[in-house]
Amino acid sequence: MNLGPLSRITPQAVPQEDVVITHEDVDRAHDRVRVSSARAQRGAFSKFRLLWLLVGPGILVMLGENDGPSMISYAATGARFGIGFFIPFVILTFCMAIVVQEMTMRLGSATHRGHAELIFDRFGPFWGWFSMIDLGIGNFLTLITEFIAIRAGLGFFGVPPWAAVGSALVFLSLAVIMHRYWTWERTLLAIAVFNLVFVPVALLTHPNWHSVGSALVTWKPLPGGLTQDTLIIVLADIGATVTPWMLFFQQSATVDKGLTRKDIHLGRIDTVVGAALAATAAVATIIATAPLFAHHMTAENFQGAEFAQALQPLIGRFGAALFAIGIVEAGMVASVTISISSAYAFGEVARRPHSLNLPVAQGKAFYSVLFLCAATAGAIVLIPGLPLVYVILLVNVVAVLAMPPALVFLFMLANDREVMGDLVSPRWANILATGVVVFLTLAGLLFGISVIAPNVFAFLGGK
Amino acid sequence: MPSKDKVDSAITSSDQKLVLSSLEPEQLAGLKKHPIPRRHLSGLEKFVMWSLRIYLLFMMVVVIYQVWASLH
Repeated sequence: MNLGPLSRITPQAVPQEDVVITHEDVDRAHDRVRVSSARAQRGAFSKFRLLWLLVGPGILVMLGENDGPSMISYAATGARFGIGFFIPFVILTFCMAIVVQEMTMRLGSATHRGHAELIFDRFGPFWGWFSMIDLGIGNFLTLITEFIAIRAGLGFFGVPPWAAVGSALVFLSLAVIMHRYWTWERTLLAIAVFNLVFVPVALLTHPNWHSVGSALVTWKPLPGGLTQDTLIIVLADIGATVTPWMLFFQQSATVDKGLTRKDIHLGRIDTVVGAALAATAAVATIIATAPLFAHHMTAENFQGAEFAQALQPLIGRFGAALFAIGIVEAGMVASVTISISSAYAFGEVARRPHSLNLPVAQGKAFYSVLFLCAATAGAIVLIPGLPLVYVILLVNVVAVLAMPPALVFLFMLANDREVMGDLVSPRWANILATGVVVFLTLAGLLFGISVIAPNVFAFLGGK
Repeated sequence: MPSKDKVDSAITSSDQKLVLSSLEPEQLAGLKKHPIPRRHLSGLEKFVMWSLRIYLLFMMVVVIYQVWASLH
C-alpha cells in the first residue's frame, strides 16, 4: 500500500483495526480499479481514457463558478463597458483561479481530507468556525442568487417563479439521488458543458473580431475611468471566478473521487481545461452583450432574462432563448455544486459521513444539509420585491472580500510539510498565490475607500 | 489493516479485498473520523490571520453601509 505523508503524523492516533469498510469505500475502490487499469496500459487511447476517468472536479468547479450571478455580472459588464478592458481582465481572473484551485486539488490528492476538515484539525476549532461561518454565509447568499438566475431565465419562457424554483429543486434531487459520485459527476459534467451555449449567442451578434483581437492584445483602459460603479463590476467579475466555496468544493470532490498523488498531473490538466472552458463562456457572454453597449442602451437595471429580451432585436428569438437557457443552466449547475460544498463541509466538521457515494440511509445528515440549504434559498427568492440585480452583484463582491482569509488558510495548508510531504507548494506557486492574495486584498480595500471616501476617485481621474 | 469482522454487514469479502488492494489506507472513510494533530502557529501567522479577519469584518461593515446607503 502506498502511504501518504499523513501516515507519518497519524499512526498513534488511528487504531486501524477499528476502521469499518463502507459502501463509500467499495464504490471508490471500483473507480480506482478502472484508473489503475487505464494507467497500466500503453498507447494514446489509454492515456486519453485515464484523463477522461480523472477529469471532473476541476471542470465542474470552474463551470460551476460560471454560475447565475457570474453570467449576469459578465452580461452587465459587456452591456455597460464593452469588451476593451474586461476580456483580458476576465482571462486574468481565470489565471488566478487556476493558481488557487490547483492548490486545493493537490491538498485533496495528498491528504485525502476535505478543506473544512483540514482547517479544523490543523488550526483548531477557533479558526475553523470563522472559516465555516464565512463559507456558510457566502454559500447561502450565493445559493439565493442561483435561484434568482433560474427564476429569471425560466421567466423568459413564461414559467412562473414557484414553478422555476420547484423545478430547480427537482433537478437538484435528481442530480444527487444516484448515490454514486461517478454517475453524479458525469451527469453534471454533461449538463455543465451547456455553459458554452453563450458561444453561439456571441456568434449570433456578429462580433467585430478585429476589435476582440485588439482588446486581447492591447488591454484598453477602463471606460469612464475608475468609479464606484465600475469598481463594483470589477469586483463582481473577480468574484465570478474566485470564491471560497470553490476551495471547499474542489478539495472535497477530489477526495470523494479518490484522486491520489499519482493523479496530480492530470488533476492540474482538469483544472486548466475547466478554466479554459469557463473563460471561453465568460468572454462569449461579454461579447454577446457588448452590442448593447455599442447601441448605447441603458443596462443598469437589467436582470438575467432582461438581457435576453434586450438582445432579442439584435439576435432574434432563438438567440435570446439560448441566452436565457444559459442563465438557467448556470444557476442549476451551481445550485448543485454549492449545496454539495456546504454539505461536504458540514460532514467534515461534524465528523459525519459525507460522500456522494453514500446511500441515503447512511448519509441522512449529508443529504439533509444539502436539501435544506437549497430549499431555504429557493423559498427566499419567492419573496416579492427583492432587489435581485443588486443582490447578485453584492454577492460576488462579498465573495471577493472573503477570499483573502480563505486563501491564507489554503496557502498555509499547501505549505504544511507535515500533511503535504514533498508536495508542498513550490516557490513559484507561492509567489503567484501571494500575488493573488495581495491583489484581492487591494481590490477589496479600493472598494472600501470608494464607499467611505468616494471623492478620492475623482482625485484619481474617475467620476 | 481493518479486520474482517469490522466491515459493513452488506460488504462481501471480494468487496473487502477490492477496497484493501485499490485504496490507500488514508482513503478509507472510517479512518477520517480520527483528527489530524493540530499544528503550531507562529506569531507572524497569527498576526496575518488576525489582520485578515479584522479586514473581513471591517469590509462587511462597509458592504452593509453600502447597501443601506443605496436603499436610502
